[in-house]
Amino acid sequence: MFLDLVKTTAYKKGMPNQRFTFVPHPVWGKSASVHRQYVEGNDPISGKPVMREVIDALTKPLTQEEKKTGFLERKEPRLVGPDTADNLQQLFLENGWTDGLPIVLPTEKKVAEMLKGTSRRPDELVGKMRPSPPHEAWEYTVEKVAINAVMAGAKPEYFPVILAIASTGATSLFSSTTSFARMVVVNGPIRDQIGMNSGMGAMGPFNHANATIGRAWTLLSKNLSGGGILGETYLGSQGNNLSYNNVCLAENEMTNPWKPFHVQKGFRPEQSVVSLFTGWGIIHSFGSAKKEFHKQMAGLMGSFCPYSSGTSVSGALVLPDPLVAKDLKEAQGFDTKEKLSEWIYKNTLISVEDYWNSGLVDTFTLPQAQLGVEPFASWLKLPKDALIPRFLSPKEINIVVVGGETNAFWQAGDFRYIGSALVDAWK
Amino acid sequence: MKKAANGLFVGVFLLMSFLIVCTSGAQEVKMTALNPRGNPPAIPLVPMAPRLDTLDGKTIYFVDVRFPGGKSFLLEMMDWFAKNMPMVKTVFREKAGPYMDADPKLWAEIKRNGDAMIMAIGH
Repeated sequence: MFLDLVKTTAYKKGMPNQRFTFVPHPVWGKSASVHRQYVEGNDPISGKPVMREVIDALTKPLTQEEKKTGFLERKEPRLVGPDTADNLQQLFLENGWTDGLPIVLPTEKKVAEMLKGTSRRPDELVGKMRPSPPHEAWEYTVEKVAINAVMAGAKPEYFPVILAIASTGATSLFSSTTSFARMVVVNGPIRDQIGMNSGMGAMGPFNHANATIGRAWTLLSKNLSGGGILGETYLGSQGNNLSYNNVCLAENEMTNPWKPFHVQKGFRPEQSVVSLFTGWGIIHSFGSAKKEFHKQMAGLMGSFCPYSSGTSVSGALVLPDPLVAKDLKEAQGFDTKEKLSEWIYKNTLISVEDYWNSGLVDTFTLPQAQLGVEPFASWLKLPKDALIPRFLSPKEINIVVVGGETNAFWQAGDFRYIGSALVDAWK
Repeated sequence: MKKAANGLFVGVFLLMSFLIVCTSGAQEVKMTALNPRGNPPAIPLVPMAPRLDTLDGKTIYFVDVRFPGGKSFLLEMMDWFAKNMPMVKTVFREKAGPYMDADPKLWAEIKRNGDAMIMAIGH
């Protein structure tokens, strides 16, 4: 299963001839006696005895190839074709350059039009991106981002938003067997300038800017970092449907009773900003008969992944309709988003037993606790039924108001804030 | 009448020929597109470390990155060496930090005291 991944990872680390051997999958969750059978058995890829391969790997003399030094160059051609439009669509699809849907072919004319959406030079470096930490980082220019923006169907006036997203270097297709998803929230005047939707249906397929900006992030994540190659740079066991569009939305700043998200993060109201989040899924509230939305939030968000150091995952992004936001402020007394975050933080506790039982906590946080890192070291000594915070701090619980006030609903995702970038810098 | 029929036939033939040529021409339109891929960096080659002439009398480090199940698997491999190649000295170590991070202290220890390393990597 991981043969291609191992070979390409070793190749990209400069060791195309790295010696390795495989054992049956999985190792995780198997007993010592099964592991012994793996050791005494055969490599499922080569069919040879595992220990024979191990001993040969350590003792067989190196070949000339294995002793080589120097560099492996990997130049990409600038143009593709010439060919018919149908054949080029098929080529892009077969090369894994799309999301499986038809794209707008990035002809030189269309890319030139897209480049009019920014004052930056086409050959200017925008950033570097990698599919996940072990993988290499690729560089990309303004022109390369424009190509992917054209493919997504975006208009030139959306291009500064897409460039801002690309400038963060954050991929929308993070390679993990857990199948991460991403979200992108847009704040500031650009939302209205390019006709984004922050009201009714904002999180659905009803708006050209929302749809194509989100899609552009996925396409550029695939193509500009070598990401999204199944079995090599994408290992999500099930994948995540949110990855088609990354839930691209604009915050409803008109009817939001609190500060806009970007202002909370230190930007000025008149600045246009993209903010990115990472997580897995979104839940829906179905409303609250008693209109105690905060209690309902704490209840449903009590199933979100607890904080895990090392990977720094775990957070929450609450998406209340303006009706819910107004009620929370006016009837429940949460006159700031921060107060609501604080309340949710204190009311989404987790038992010590359940905390240490979380897979990510066991892999990444337990070693830290064993090394004496606090507060984890102290949590190891607590009784199983003691309660501890699920989230690292109230700052990990963010709130973005979105919706058209047709009803008092809220949604929330187990999404942690990654960072923000200024759109205005890319105009 | 015959002349008119011939003329009509020629006219239809010319029209059909014209339409076939137009249709064929439209199908043959070709274009170029720009490559959407980013720029992968040149890869500096890392030559493999020299191999051992024999494992007898040598020290092999078994490094666990703490991927679930890795430690148990490596201990079974060490047990295999104890039973089948007792002249090989085996040392077990857990790498510090998340499994994609380096552990310079451990690498230094292995360079100082070891002859080879086997690392169990999962995903």
